[in-house]
Amino acid sequence: MSGGYVWVAVIGMAVATYAMRVVPITVLSRVRIPELLKRWLSFVPVAVMAALVAGEVFRPDGHWLGPAHNPYLLAAVPTAAVFYFTKSLLGSTLAGIACFLAFRALLG
Amino acid sequence: MRLGLPIFLGYVPVGMAFGMLARSAGFTLAQAAACSGLVLAGAGQFVGLSLMRSGADLAAVWIATSVINLRYVLFGAAVSPYLRDAPLSAQASLAFSLTDETFAVNVADHQAGTADVASMSGVGAVSWIGWVGGTVLGAGLGSLVGDPARWGVGFAMPAMFTALLVGQMKDRSHVIVAALAASLALASSLVLPGKWFIVAAAVAAATVGAVVYR
Repeated sequence: MSGGYVWVAVIGMAVATYAMRVVPITVLSRVRIPELLKRWLSFVPVAVMAALVAGEVFRPDGHWLGPAHNPYLLAAVPTAAVFYFTKSLLGSTLAGIACFLAFRALLG
Repeated sequence: MRLGLPIFLGYVPVGMAFGMLARSAGFTLAQAAACSGLVLAGAGQFVGLSLMRSGADLAAVWIATSVINLRYVLFGAAVSPYLRDAPLSAQASLAFSLTDETFAVNVADHQAGTADVASMSGVGAVSWIGWVGGTVLGAGLGSLVGDPARWGVGFAMPAMFTALLVGQMKDRSHVIVAALAASLALASSLVLPGKWFIVAAAVAAATVGAVVYR
């Protein structure tokens, strides 16, 4: 990964992210968001996270991994359970890593 | 300031994870710190990083980050009434530190009747310091710890996304949209190059959700 590529990527990410934060606060306060767009936006986070998780646990590193030999998929289950009960992002991430290490060791 | 402390405690370790992963992906310490300092977006940064690591096109990195951070548009719209009387400079600087966590804290603080520009600036500043400080710490220590894969850091992102996904499932419509997005992601990953399947599946599933659930 070249240094120039990283800098251009990071600056672009920063500009795009800031634009999305600053435009509604300074402009949208005077405009009404259409109901359909509001609903669409409300579904975006959950849809993105689901697509991400599916890719990360079924295709780690871009390759399909069968359920029986897949520590990513197996560890995702207790991770979800820990977050559901504790609501702790940090706690469930750490618990997930511990489960992942255990499953990886068990599966060889 | 005090309101920002729980966010600070949460951001330092996740920032460290980002710093370590960024270093292992080939970022320099300065690049990792600049990314956290300028973008200040947890999931968006992790996704951008994983795309960069797989050598994705710049456009794919920007679009994926933007799609994930689209929720900030909604957050910004939601907090804009609190800041209607604030000067443009205050609105512009507060917008910079708008994240899931600062949004949640500021909304709760506003509902309690105690939020103002000063309190929101404090929350934003403390959060920023935690996120960037954690990143520098992780990027700096990363070289001492050696290969992070040994410590299972490779599952840090999937674990965080799994937890965030569970947190997003507020009712049945969200569960169904999530299931649809996951299915579409796996199906479209067979035909789309790189990680475009994430953007395609998310946009399609959110559109179905918006049309079906009215």
